[in-house]
Amino acid sequence: MLQQTDTAKETHSRGPDLHTRSYPKLLRRFVLGAVICSVLPLLLVGWISYLYYSQFSMSRMAAYFQRTVEYNRKIVESFFEERTSDIKLVAYTHSLDFLKDTSNLSQIFHMLNRGGSFFTDLGVIGKDGKHMAYIGPYDLMDKDYSQTFWFKEVMAKGVYVSDVFWGYRKEPHFIIAVLCVKDDTTWILRATIYQEFLSSLVETTGLGKTGEVFLVNREGVYQTSPRFKGAILDRAPFPVESFTGESGIIGTDPITDFGSFDRDRSVFSTDFIKYDLALSHPKEIVAYSWLKHPQWLLVVKQDFSEVFGDINHVNTIILILLHSSVVAILVVSVFATGYMVKAIKKRDRQAEGLNRQLMQASKLASIGELAAGVAHEINNPLAVILTENQVIRDLTDQEQGLSSEFKEELVRSLSQVDSQVERCSHITQNLLRFSRRMALPSRFVDLNVAVKDVVGLLEKRASSRGVQISVDFQEGLPRICGYPFELEQVFLNLISNAVDAHDGKSYGAIRISTRFDGADNRLMVTVADTGSGIADGDLERVFDPFFTTKPVGQGTGLGLSISYSIIRQMGGHISVRSELGQGTEFTLVFPCPATGQHDASAEARKEGPDEKAPPAPRR
Amino acid sequence: MKKPRLLLVDDEIPFTTNLLKLLSRRGYDVSAVYDGDSALRIVQEHEFDVVILDQNMPGKDGITVLRELKKKRPHLEVVILTGYGSIDSALDGFELGAYDYTTKPIQLGDLEAKIRQAFQRKMLRE
Repeated sequence: MLQQTDTAKETHSRGPDLHTRSYPKLLRRFVLGAVICSVLPLLLVGWISYLYYSQFSMSRMAAYFQRTVEYNRKIVESFFEERTSDIKLVAYTHSLDFLKDTSNLSQIFHMLNRGGSFFTDLGVIGKDGKHMAYIGPYDLMDKDYSQTFWFKEVMAKGVYVSDVFWGYRKEPHFIIAVLCVKDDTTWILRATIYQEFLSSLVETTGLGKTGEVFLVNREGVYQTSPRFKGAILDRAPFPVESFTGESGIIGTDPITDFGSFDRDRSVFSTDFIKYDLALSHPKEIVAYSWLKHPQWLLVVKQDFSEVFGDINHVNTIILILLHSSVVAILVVSVFATGYMVKAIKKRDRQAEGLNRQLMQASKLASIGELAAGVAHEINNPLAVILTENQVIRDLTDQEQGLSSEFKEELVRSLSQVDSQVERCSHITQNLLRFSRRMALPSRFVDLNVAVKDVVGLLEKRASSRGVQISVDFQEGLPRICGYPFELEQVFLNLISNAVDAHDGKSYGAIRISTRFDGADNRLMVTVADTGSGIADGDLERVFDPFFTTKPVGQGTGLGLSISYSIIRQMGGHISVRSELGQGTEFTLVFPCPATGQHDASAEARKEGPDEKAPPAPRR
Repeated sequence: MKKPRLLLVDDEIPFTTNLLKLLSRRGYDVSAVYDGDSALRIVQEHEFDVVILDQNMPGKDGITVLRELKKKRPHLEVVILTGYGSIDSALDGFELGAYDYTTKPIQLGDLEAKIRQAFQRKMLRE
C-alpha cells in the first residue's frame, strides 16, 4: 500500500489526532444536551401530566361511582318510604271492620299493587298475633305471630320494617307492619314486600361484567342475593360495623379483605380515592351507603380494572406515546448529532488542510525570501572569486620562472575553482528560481506536449540505465494556463528523480499518464516509478528546500521544492505516494481555465503554440 | 580592430579592480568608478563605447544610472551585470535601452563576448 503525503495528508497525519479524540466527547455532549434540553423536560411534563390526569380522572370516576350508589340508595329508601306510607295510609284511614272484610282487603291489596307488583300479600293481625284477614298466596290464616320478633317490634314501635327472614312460609321475605289503635281496638296491618322487586330495584346500577350490588343488614346478612358468591340470608364474608348512616368508597383487594370495611376507612371518601386508588390500583372498588329505614347497607362492588378500564387504556396510550416520543427524540438526536459531528469533523479537516497548506506556503515563501537574499549575496563574491582566478591565471601565464609541473598543478586547481564557482552559481540560480520572485509570463500549455518533450530528452538516459519510460496520454486535453519552460523543468525534475530512484536496480519502469477530470474541471498528471521508494520519515519532507536523499554533490535538494513552488504558482497541487522498495507516484493537479478561456484556448490552439494566456494564479 | 573603450561601474571594489586589470591586459581601454554619480560625471568628460553597469549600488541604482546615461549619451552601449538578477529588472533594463543583461558570476570570456557584440552594434549604429 502506497503511502501518501501532501499538504492535505499532513492534516490527516498530524493535526487530526486531537480532533479525533474530541469528537466522541463532542457527540456525547451534544446527545446529553439534547437529552437534558428535550427528553428530560418531556418526560417530566409527560409524567406530571400523566399523574395529574390519572388522579383527576380516577377521582372523577370514583365520585361518579359514589354518586351512583347514593342515587341508588335514595331510590331504595324512597321505595321503602312509599311502601311504608302506603301501609300506614291504609291502616289509618280504614276501620278494622272494613279491613276484616276479605273483599275490601283484596280490593285494597290490588290498589296498592296497581303501580307495580310491590306486595306479595297483605294481612290484618289482631293483638293476639292471629290473622283476622289475609290476602295472599300463602296459607297463613291460622298462624300465630304473637311470639315473632317482628310482632314484638311493631307492638313496641308502631311501625316496623323487618329484615329479610324465613318465617312460616319458608321463603326469604320481609315485611312492613303498622300498629293501629282505634276505639280500644288494637290491630296490625302487615304487608310482605315482593322480594324480586326489591332485588331488581337494587340492581338498577350499571354493573358491567364484574359489578354486583346487594344489601346487607347490620349483622352482615345478605338482604338481597349477590350476583356472584353467596345467597340471600347468607352471612356476608365481611363483618359490618354498627350503623353509621354514612356512605363512602374504598379500594380493596379480594372481598375477604373487606373486613377492614369499618368506620375509620369508610370515611376516606374521595381523598382516599384521589391518592390511594391512583397509586395502589386495588383489585376492587367498593362503594357503600347506609339506608336509614331499614338500617341496611347498600353495597356496590366492581373490579377496579373495569371501573377504570377506559382511563387505564387512555393512560397506557399516553405513556406509550410519551415514551415513543422520548425514544424517537433520542434516536433522532443521536443520528442528527452524529451527522452534525461528522460535518464538523469534515470541516475541521478541511480547515486543518487549508491551514497546513497555508503554513507550508508561508514556510516556503519565507525560505524563498531567504534563499533569494542568500543567492544574491553569494553572486557578488562568486564574481570576485572568478575574476581573482582569472588574475592568477594571467599572472601565471606571464611568469616565466615557474616549472611546468607547478603551472599544470596551478591550472588544474584554478579550473577546479572555476568548476566550483560554476556549481555555486548553479545553486544560486536554482534558489532564485525557487523563490519565484520574477513575474513570469503565462501561456496556454498542452501538458501532453510538455511531458512528451521532456520524455524525449530523458529517454536515452533512462534506457541506458535499464528504465523504460511509457506514457498514457488522454487525447484532447484542454490546455492550462502556465509557464511552459518552468513546467518542463517540473517534469524534468520528476522524471530525472524517477530515473535516479532506480539506482541499484538493473531495470525498472516509469509510467506517465495524463487525465482530464471533467467533474472538477482539472487536469491530472501522474509520474509513477518502480524505484526504491521513499522512507516514511522522508515522505513529508520531500518538498522542503535542500532536502535530498541523494549522495552529497549529486543533488541540491531544490528540484522538488522548485517544482512545488511552480505548480503552486500555477494554482495547482502536487502530492506523492510511496512505498519503500516498491516505487513512488507523484500526482500533479492543475486547474483548467474557465469555460470562456477554454474556448479562447481552443481557438488559440489553431493559431500556434506561443499564444499568451491570462496570468496564472500566483500562490 | 579597434578595442572598445570601457567604463566599469560597480561598487564591489575587488571585482571592479580585478576586472579592470584583466580587461586592460587584454587591450581594452578601461576606466572604473564605484557609484552611479561618478559614472555620470565621467561620461560627461570622456568618451566610452561600452559601459559595464552594476544594478545594485549605493546612491543611484543601475536602472536610474542607465536612464540618465542614455539621456546624456544615447549611443552608449550598456551591459548590465548584476548579482541581483530578476526578470523584472532585466525587462526594465531592456526598455531603457540596455544592450544586454547578465548575472554574476560570469566567465571573463563570456563577458568579453558580450562586450564585443555591444561594441559592434555601437559601431554599426554610428
